Amino acid sequence: MIRLENVSKAYKGDTVALREANVNIDKGEFVFLVGASGSGKSTFLRLLNREEVPTTGQIFVAGKDIGQLTSWKVPYLRRNIGSVFQDVKLLTNKNVNENVAFALEAIGRPKHVIASQVPAILELVGLSSKAGNFPHELSGGEQQRVSIARAFVNRPLILLADEPTGNLDPATSVGIMRLLERINKTGTTVLMATHDRGIVDTMRRRVIELDRGSIIRDQARGVYE
Amino acid sequence: MAIKLEYVARETGTNLKRNFTITLATVMTVAVSLALVGASLMAQQGVERATKRWQGGIEFIVFLNPNATDDQITGVGADLEANPQIESVTFVNKDAAFAEFKELFRDSPEMIESVSPEILPASYRVEPIDKNADIVTALSEQYKTKPGVSEVVSATETIRLVQRFSEFLTRGILFVAIFLLGASGLLILNTIRMAMFARRREIEVMKLVGATNWFIRVPFMVEGLVQGVIGAVLAIATLAVARPTLEGWLPPGDQIPLLAGVVPQSSDMFPIYLLVGLVGCLVGAAGAGVAVTRFLDV
Repeated sequence: MIRLENVSKAYKGDTVALREANVNIDKGEFVFLVGASGSGKSTFLRLLNREEVPTTGQIFVAGKDIGQLTSWKVPYLRRNIGSVFQDVKLLTNKNVNENVAFALEAIGRPKHVIASQVPAILELVGLSSKAGNFPHELSGGEQQRVSIARAFVNRPLILLADEPTGNLDPATSVGIMRLLERINKTGTTVLMATHDRGIVDTMRRRVIELDRGSIIRDQARGVYE
Repeated sequence: MAIKLEYVARETGTNLKRNFTITLATVMTVAVSLALVGASLMAQQGVERATKRWQGGIEFIVFLNPNATDDQITGVGADLEANPQIESVTFVNKDAAFAEFKELFRDSPEMIESVSPEILPASYRVEPIDKNADIVTALSEQYKTKPGVSEVVSATETIRLVQRFSEFLTRGILFVAIFLLGASGLLILNTIRMAMFARRREIEVMKLVGATNWFIRVPFMVEGLVQGVIGAVLAIATLAVARPTLEGWLPPGDQIPLLAGVVPQSSDMFPIYLLVGLVGCLVGAAGAGVAVTRFLDV
């Protein structure tokens, strides 16, 4: 599903965010990316949906070399990749329903599809009763659920989560992880960058550890360190 | 991917409402500059029509008797051609004179009906080498008494003055209008930029979920276009109201013949309106186009 071949990414001023990364992730895997701040986790994720372009090396997503994509094809790549962030990125002037529907509208889905998909996904994340609420009326955990719903409503092949539990307390985090697990069980490949030792240690999934841009560990059923 | 009309209309509407005051300022600037472009064109066209006979260096016209014989006509012509002080001579026969008359009074059919080619005199339009007023007068005097000539009319200082003044006015207005159009374009660009800034979070999310560039851009481009078009419509309305008002102010053509065609006839206005409309669209599209390509890339 995802394959990195000798991928390096350098930013201006000799900052190397990723160094000679070689990774192969299969369809349906659940992978944690761990490492200190600045170790290259976010760059890793941003390379996958082509928010960044690698300096050297090749990245294959669903069999396609995404370095070769023309810029007008990038949106179609992103339709297969859902993204979730620590700072949820919800639109404050839209309610829960509209925030999720917006993701489908933006890719030109017809109204009847939106009308059937949005309630279904809100049911999945457990927010059916809050469809009419605005983001500021929700708790942090609920906001993150909405953002997951938005990322997943188009049923992408891959879900990228950049510290989705970074702002949440442990109990709420567990709820979010259950949700991501459920999504993973539908066959969606999930990549999650995290600092949360507790979560990584309890879930025992594949762990890729980065240190100053280099992959120093890639372990099936691993722990935080 | 087809972009839905409803989506574009809604998004554009939201943008225009959200930045209402700046949009208003932009639209007003576009309207004023386009109205000036139109006024400049009107002045140019009006004076051109009113002084049509006197263009291309023509300094005096030798009108022939309606019942002059062919020999007399060719005689006067040969005489003019042979004169070393004369640069060029153009013969305007009765039919050509009638055609010109019809053109000048296009919107007054009663005037045209009262005239037929037979009663209009044929004439020679003469361009002398030296256009000094004294020489022109002396030269034209020579032809007053030739057989077959009814009268000789010189371009008066007034006509030259009107032509020079109108040229100055037209260029002056056009100069100001071009500056204002530049300002309008920049205002549209900045209005769009502000609209994009106001919606930067939405744009970020749209890019993230895989909206195409055009899907994101089109509402902003339409916004710029709408501003240009509204400005153009206001300018055209202003011109349409100003034309008959101006016509009412000026003394009627039979008192001061020179002013007969200074205000363009309403049928002449259509190309001016069309041009104003097109320039409006162009300014809007250009401003918005630059804004979306410069500030809205993946």
